[in-house]
Amino acid sequence: MTHDLIATAGEYVAGLMTPEELEAFERRIATDAEARRAVADWREKLVALDETVAPVVPSESLWPRIEAAVGKALPATAGRPGWLARVWADVSALRFAALAGAAAALLLAVVLITQPFGGAQAPVVVAVLNAPNTSEAGAIVEAYADGRIRVVPLRAIPVPDGRTLQVWTLWDRQVGPRSVGLMPVARQSDYRTSGMPRPIDSQLYEITLEPAGGSPTGRPTGPILYVGRGSAPL
Amino acid sequence: MATVAIDLKDALARCGRGEKAALRVIYESECPAMIGVALRIVKRRELAEEVVQEAYVKIWRNAHRYDPELGPPKAWLYAIVRNQALNVLRDGRREDLVDEVPEDMGSAVEAYQAIERLPDASALRRCLDGLEPRRRASLVMAYVDGFSHGEIAGRLAVPLGTVKAWIRRSLVALKECMG
Repeated sequence: MTHDLIATAGEYVAGLMTPEELEAFERRIATDAEARRAVADWREKLVALDETVAPVVPSESLWPRIEAAVGKALPATAGRPGWLARVWADVSALRFAALAGAAAALLLAVVLITQPFGGAQAPVVVAVLNAPNTSEAGAIVEAYADGRIRVVPLRAIPVPDGRTLQVWTLWDRQVGPRSVGLMPVARQSDYRTSGMPRPIDSQLYEITLEPAGGSPTGRPTGPILYVGRGSAPL
Repeated sequence: MATVAIDLKDALARCGRGEKAALRVIYESECPAMIGVALRIVKRRELAEEVVQEAYVKIWRNAHRYDPELGPPKAWLYAIVRNQALNVLRDGRREDLVDEVPEDMGSAVEAYQAIERLPDASALRRCLDGLEPRRRASLVMAYVDGFSHGEIAGRLAVPLGTVKAWIRRSLVALKECMG
């Protein structure tokens, strides 16, 4: 391992990089196993400094706020609500971000418009994908039993030159995330997938930013733009 | 201090499968220390809890991406907390605090206390002790207090380029010492 890599990975772990350096180094991590080792090595060595901290008892409201923010704060007695109700419950996280009104109205409109897709067939799983940081809704995924997947962006998603959006799904951690397909520009896209099991409840969908042509590793490497879990409509 | 050893790797795997109970397990075990780590950087209690809240959302959403190749689970979790705290700083949410934070190093800088609290026998402590004091402080101020090169240069009253060089050389020396 070169001194340069040792020092650079150390700067990364110590939080000393500018946003540009950070983006460049994270791209390197995605493709360079030695850089990953250098980062893992520093994290392992320096976490001892975190362990010296004086613990602070969390306020009682913290866990409920986290629960609400992860968008899974369904009442235990709700039974099994209809899929639209569950989509709304997922979207309820948006209310905490004070974004609900417009996004939810738009979401409802899109859901109603896209519902007839596939004739009499209904999707077996529907997911709303939110931005990881702000929880703003960015796209809807409808997955069908025959392997078709429709992705409907809810807003303009800028794609820099030389990059593409890529849609992923994860149904089993052992298998890992699988590519659904590329979306070079943010517009409604239909995909035909094969070799994937029938979509299941809680299946994860996400959109990442990848190099043009798609992730070189077959795994997501770029930043997650939108992510969400599916629910099975009744 | 939590004395019950929980299997963070298993808890992350379960989070990745959508089991919210596993997130709660991580919360029970790590949350107080995580608030402490965030507090060292953002210097204000309610801001530290905000950081931790956002960190848990990221942990939940990214648990399926956890890869042991990128470090032990605990180090991965704390990296998320520290990065989130640094994001808050970059957004300028600590700006209104800058005046309140005393410039005198003893009270404003957590780095010194963190070094003192490292177990005497640990390799990190031994190897940090081998560094020249201001170089040691530069590196630990970045990691523990979340200070930028410029902030460290200001506090130690040395040029920016010197701090950058000190930290890179200290990292190489530390790595050589710890193996």
